[in-house]
Amino acid sequence: MDKFVVNIIHRPEMVPEYAEKVTGHGKEEDIGRKALLTESLDIFKTQQAIAHKNGLRTTIQMTYASLFNEEAIALAKEDHEKYGDEIALSLLGLPCKEFREKYKTKDFCIWMFSMEDKKSIVNDVFEKFHDAFGFYPESTGSYYMDAELVNYIKETYPTVKCAVATCWEEGPKAYHTCNNSWYTFMDGGPWAPWIPSKQNVHAPAADESEDSGIVAIPHLSRDLLACYDGNGSNFGTHPQNVLRGMIYDTETWEFPYLYNLIDQYRSLEKYNNGYAYNMVFVGPGWMNKMGRWEAPYELLLKSYEDGMAYYGQLKKEGKLDDMTMAEFADYYREKKTYTEPECALWKDILYGSDKQLFWFCDPFMRVCVNMDQGGAIVDLRPYAAKLNWPVGIGTKHVTDASYPFLIQEKYRAGYFTHYAGEGTVRSAKLTYKGEEVDLCLCRTKAKFVQEGNVRSLVLDPVEIEFEDLTLKLQTVISFEEGSSDIKIERKIQEMSDPNAEVEINEYMVACYGTTEYAEDMTNVKLHITNGSEERNIDYAYKCREEALKGAKSVSAVIPEIETKVSLCAQKEDAAGYMKEGYAFSPMFTLGYTTKLKDKEAFATWLKLEKAN
Amino acid sequence: MAQAGKGKLNYRCPSCFMRDLDIDMFYDKDKKEYYCIRCQYTGSEEDVLKKNEMARFRYRAMSKRITNFD
Repeated sequence: MDKFVVNIIHRPEMVPEYAEKVTGHGKEEDIGRKALLTESLDIFKTQQAIAHKNGLRTTIQMTYASLFNEEAIALAKEDHEKYGDEIALSLLGLPCKEFREKYKTKDFCIWMFSMEDKKSIVNDVFEKFHDAFGFYPESTGSYYMDAELVNYIKETYPTVKCAVATCWEEGPKAYHTCNNSWYTFMDGGPWAPWIPSKQNVHAPAADESEDSGIVAIPHLSRDLLACYDGNGSNFGTHPQNVLRGMIYDTETWEFPYLYNLIDQYRSLEKYNNGYAYNMVFVGPGWMNKMGRWEAPYELLLKSYEDGMAYYGQLKKEGKLDDMTMAEFADYYREKKTYTEPECALWKDILYGSDKQLFWFCDPFMRVCVNMDQGGAIVDLRPYAAKLNWPVGIGTKHVTDASYPFLIQEKYRAGYFTHYAGEGTVRSAKLTYKGEEVDLCLCRTKAKFVQEGNVRSLVLDPVEIEFEDLTLKLQTVISFEEGSSDIKIERKIQEMSDPNAEVEINEYMVACYGTTEYAEDMTNVKLHITNGSEERNIDYAYKCREEALKGAKSVSAVIPEIETKVSLCAQKEDAAGYMKEGYAFSPMFTLGYTTKLKDKEAFATWLKLEKAN
Repeated sequence: MAQAGKGKLNYRCPSCFMRDLDIDMFYDKDKKEYYCIRCQYTGSEEDVLKKNEMARFRYRAMSKRITNFD
């Protein structure tokens, strides 16, 4: 049965993010100002009232600061009794006088503290919660939760079964949007709920032994096209995100985009065995009486009221299940298996471009396929490596929680580069009599097909024109459940000259990193073998190339991210090749070439493995 | 000339917004204009609102209610 679940989360944040900075402009900092505390609680009450008016239950995430406030505690208890709201505990909202006095820092992101402080804060906050309510919470969360933090919480407070654990694609783009002042990076994670592994929160667990014991939910449900290219905080199911993006009519204050976004998420049940999900989590700072940026308070309020009214309407029509976080964790555990992927064939609902992306996430990889580039893979995260990547003070990654990529078309170019070099992408080129066409320039659409445990993306055939030959080629990209391989098959359906032969070059240009800037490639090792012969290139920016006929595989090992990526081909006479990059273009290329005639097909597999 | 402050709303710089940068502007009450501390934009409230409308040019489907996602 189709099910669309929403988690609505409110937090009484006594010193809301932004509020002190915005409303307090021109005043000395004072996070204990009475006016600030009163307004914060009023906003929380308003949010709760709006949800309840629309027949929706919420998860109340108490903040540390709110646990010092009798009124906030009483309100939570009252709403739990009256409406069945869950009382949970947020690790956001740490800043308050008591916290500052005790920890003597202005840090507020739990994942960025030292491990020692993380433990101390968790103990402090969970015990304070227990003192207030007489039980330990089942749900918690923050904008990001690192694996070490989750493991500690689960070990110490086993009641916890659900947590808000990442903000989808809030990495360098969020940093730039905030004028390079937002020093926390968390790209490369799932966009929909998942069971995090013990090794890395962003990488889903492959089995029970990797299971961290919680169900993670993303902070908001974000536009999978707009947020990939633009500001992650403009295009999510946070009604005020839509205002931040200025995606509303200034005369009528209408914003159909928010409903389109919710509805597109609802439609994702088609790809996920009848289940779809939304998360709404609006901090009180965003409903500030002073207004927020261009939006006056009245518009902020309207956006929240309208957004909740839409969810309420869906519930009344029997199209939505409002769950608390803990209820959702139970539902999700029952519904999903470890290896079942999350799939999203997503279309542009804002820019009028008709572009289509396909997102796939399972315990072995996160992949983005771009139909506007002929089905090229434009983002690839090798979760198969289950990279242990501690974050916070005292680690190598104080601020960077992103799961590294092999391919990222926005940070390391894609098909198009300026002047020289190559960008990261997995595509194919066809050549005939000296002419070359890359499938990245063949715009098309795809359909999703599921047969047994294989999920495929079947692309509409594209036409390729050479000077004296035209042909029609179809791409099918398949993901077998439980496997870390991606199969890509190209088939020539028609040729204007049935006797012609074209060369196909299946290639992958890759590197590694989490930001726009190049990493040191010196430890990368390229390898090719055909069983009897082998060639190796130890990366030294020397622009070397090697090829072998009948190659069994071509591979790259990237020690820094403990990843091995390889390609292999179906045709035994296909030639495998590998290319080292150079200083101006610090990438590597793996590929296969072969000849194809009319009606012939060529399949290659991209495989991801952990390299110790 | 006294120091600048915030205006009645926290208008962002429309020029920076168009390059995906959210940056609050400050208000110069002597010149009656908002100005960006990062780029070279300056303008009256009326001009800011006009430029904000211009920034929406890329949202071609902004007013469209979409119900078919196939």
